[in-house]
Amino acid sequence: MVVNGALRTFNQASRSGTVARALVGESWGQASTTEALTDERLERLLSDATKMAKATAKYARKKIDLSGVVPIQKRVSQKVKEDPAHVPTEDKLEFVMELDKAQRVDDRIVNMNSVYMDAKRVNRLVNTVGTRLEWDELRIRSIVNPVAREGDRMQYEHDSVSGLKGFEMIRTLDASEFASKPAHGAIELLSASKAPSGNLKVVMDGDLAGVVAHEVCGHASEADEVVKGRSFLTDMVGKRVGSKLVSMVDDGTLDGKYGTIPFDSEGTPTSRTMIIDKGVYAGYLHTIETAALMGVSPTGNGRAQDYNRRVFARMTNTFFDKGDWSDEEIISDTKDGIYVVKSRSGMEDVVGGGVQVTALKGYIIKNGEMTELVRSMALTGKVLDILATVDAVGKDLSFSAGTCGKGEEDWAPVTSGGPHMRAEMIVGGG
Amino acid sequence: MTLTDIAGRLMDGSEKEGASQAEAFVISTKTSSVYIDDDIPKIVDAKEETGVGLKFILGNQIGFTSSTLLSESVEDVVRRAKSMARMSSADPKFRSLPDPKKPTVPFDHFFDEQTANADSSLLIEKAMDVVKAAKSDSMSVPNGVLRASSVEFQVQNSLGVDAGSKSTMIFGFFTAKTGDADSVGEGVQRCWSRRLQDIDFPAVGEKLRNQASDVLKAKAFKENWKDAVAVLAPSEGSEMLGMLVGFCTSAENVNHRRSSWTDKVGDSIADKSLTVVDNGLSELGLLSAAVDDEGVPMQTTSIIEKGVLKSYLFDSYNAAQVDLESTGNGLRRDSRDAQGAFTSPTRCSPTTLEIPAGTKSVDEIVSEVDRGVYVEHFAWPQVDPLSGAFSNEMRNAQLIENGELTTKIRYSLLVGNLFEAIGRELMIGSDLEVNSNYAMPTIALNGIEIVGQ
Repeated sequence: MVVNGALRTFNQASRSGTVARALVGESWGQASTTEALTDERLERLLSDATKMAKATAKYARKKIDLSGVVPIQKRVSQKVKEDPAHVPTEDKLEFVMELDKAQRVDDRIVNMNSVYMDAKRVNRLVNTVGTRLEWDELRIRSIVNPVAREGDRMQYEHDSVSGLKGFEMIRTLDASEFASKPAHGAIELLSASKAPSGNLKVVMDGDLAGVVAHEVCGHASEADEVVKGRSFLTDMVGKRVGSKLVSMVDDGTLDGKYGTIPFDSEGTPTSRTMIIDKGVYAGYLHTIETAALMGVSPTGNGRAQDYNRRVFARMTNTFFDKGDWSDEEIISDTKDGIYVVKSRSGMEDVVGGGVQVTALKGYIIKNGEMTELVRSMALTGKVLDILATVDAVGKDLSFSAGTCGKGEEDWAPVTSGGPHMRAEMIVGGG
Repeated sequence: MTLTDIAGRLMDGSEKEGASQAEAFVISTKTSSVYIDDDIPKIVDAKEETGVGLKFILGNQIGFTSSTLLSESVEDVVRRAKSMARMSSADPKFRSLPDPKKPTVPFDHFFDEQTANADSSLLIEKAMDVVKAAKSDSMSVPNGVLRASSVEFQVQNSLGVDAGSKSTMIFGFFTAKTGDADSVGEGVQRCWSRRLQDIDFPAVGEKLRNQASDVLKAKAFKENWKDAVAVLAPSEGSEMLGMLVGFCTSAENVNHRRSSWTDKVGDSIADKSLTVVDNGLSELGLLSAAVDDEGVPMQTTSIIEKGVLKSYLFDSYNAAQVDLESTGNGLRRDSRDAQGAFTSPTRCSPTTLEIPAGTKSVDEIVSEVDRGVYVEHFAWPQVDPLSGAFSNEMRNAQLIENGELTTKIRYSLLVGNLFEAIGRELMIGSDLEVNSNYAMPTIALNGIEIVGQ
């Protein structure tokens, strides 16, 4: 990480561990260690996991039948054009320094933050079904975050590029444009007005639409929340949940996306799941356990942060599918509203069916034209009300990468995305 | 091999490889967890993790690397750290690693034997105490986690620091659900402590049940109230205020001029009722330790006293830039998750931010409010620490009218600016509570907007 022209952190980490997981009835026991592997230690891990599962099984009310799990033996090595491990460190440092330099667009930029990281995760998995798997996941990410200051007023912008890719992603990036654009954005935000508050017609960019997809229906479609009836989308398959323009997908197979995985943490190959099809709810995201309980095939969504963490149903690349409006048509068709750009964060409400999404900035729309720039706001509302009001969906998809937590922890790399979309939501300008 | 032995080998290796300075951080953690799923214990786990972080310095070039030492040796780690330092560009702001100083408390002062020995069966018992107190025919506990961790670390550096600490921590998170397809209510409760025996688990369950029942009764708020008072429960207010104060007082942010409180020591930045202390030796604090994560003794630092900014928080790197001493705020550990602390170098962060308890109960505060809202739970209490702006969805909230709690509301936002809000008259409650690395009571903010549908 380079801050204000100086290399602030320069790290390389190597982290390895082993976990054993055992199922008794419907109870899981799990034991993990970072100690060196010996036969004795492996036996101890398996024995500890089994003992814990057995001790917990007295509370079990049912048995999970995993006999339908299909064994796979495979070794998958990710193909990249340029493996970051073979890229000279000087090239990586030069790239980050270029990002730093490109953010210096104005004296009012007082703080430039530029990050480059690459990570290789090697997974080996064996289970009693007969699966023997080894695969790797190679991810690259770069972030810029300039801060502008004028008197006591401060604003920031950010941008990032990420992917399940090699260093070729960085070689083909216009570093100068990538880093200078948010710097200009931060300067503009210094004179932005406070966003309006109330129930408004909102045009979301693809980034915002992606966070809404992820938070609104993504988390509530994770089947572990469905089998216990916690999700507001329980028993909704076949029912209308939005206007006919709304379709939503989770797809772990998309080439090069940050949330793409060959296999989930249980060894199930990743897949494409239709969640909402033209406004009608279509399906859930499964682990091997939830699939067995609901009598369907697992979808490859059983993910764990690492060897220290539990496996449960998680998203991969989740997005609203495209429609047929151009972005300009959506804006020009909006008489009064707000065009909201760039997400900051999101929080789901699996039980209540609400949502909170925060955005960095927006533009007031008046008579089909973007007018005043406004800063920092939150969007909320009842999900089914919001999706019912979607009346325009763009034809161009865009994706943003991030790290998703569930229950405030258990972080997993994901992508969310969508086209420009228009809906009614509560807006609160901070 | 003990942690001191591993640290010693890393230091010896670094010296042999020609480091001008080096710092070895070695940490060992043990955690037992139980996950509640639909009223029963569903997953029980036990994890052990040992990791090292090595800072290798050649003049002003700094390399950092970390490892779990499962698939490589201490020598491999030293060689990699050296190679990182060689490739690194010089950091002209780096002066030196910290000098040794004697800690003021013993290394195991914050360690509790009973908590460290809590196994899965004890945790199941405690978690089920929450479930039993919350559950009824119409109420379930769909999700929960309870975990107990013991943490031991040792830091050595080439200036003679050889210090460590040993501590324990508990974290719990539970949700309750009630209602039917037409209307549902959810309660959310977290519990944090250094000692398992200090948490009243049945009381957590009762609060969870009451919260879910309250949310079930909530109605969509359809108005827009300006200039209202927001009374924030400790879990919510401390998250917002802690985020703002922690960011603005970190010397890393001050030195990079991204803190709004840069050059403001001695200035009045808040109402005179606000006093905030960073207490690395807090008896309640989950990050409390004899030394910080670069071996500097933890201490108590007054940050805001009666509304006046008194000091920033320093690690050794940022303190040296302004010719001051570290305040023991070089941290890698996290108040929620014991694992993984070795993977990154220290950052300049708060330890436990404390606001002393006031004299008013929550009822007394509410009775003094003409028009406002009492918030028990936000979707995610956030604030932009650069501008102070916040706009948070309220998930469990109740209107206050003429000194009385009235309608329970949902689908609404609390909007304002926290820099401005702490400059107006504040009310501080008497109900001090630990949440994450904050020990703060209920706080009431003036001049806030409530936005409904």
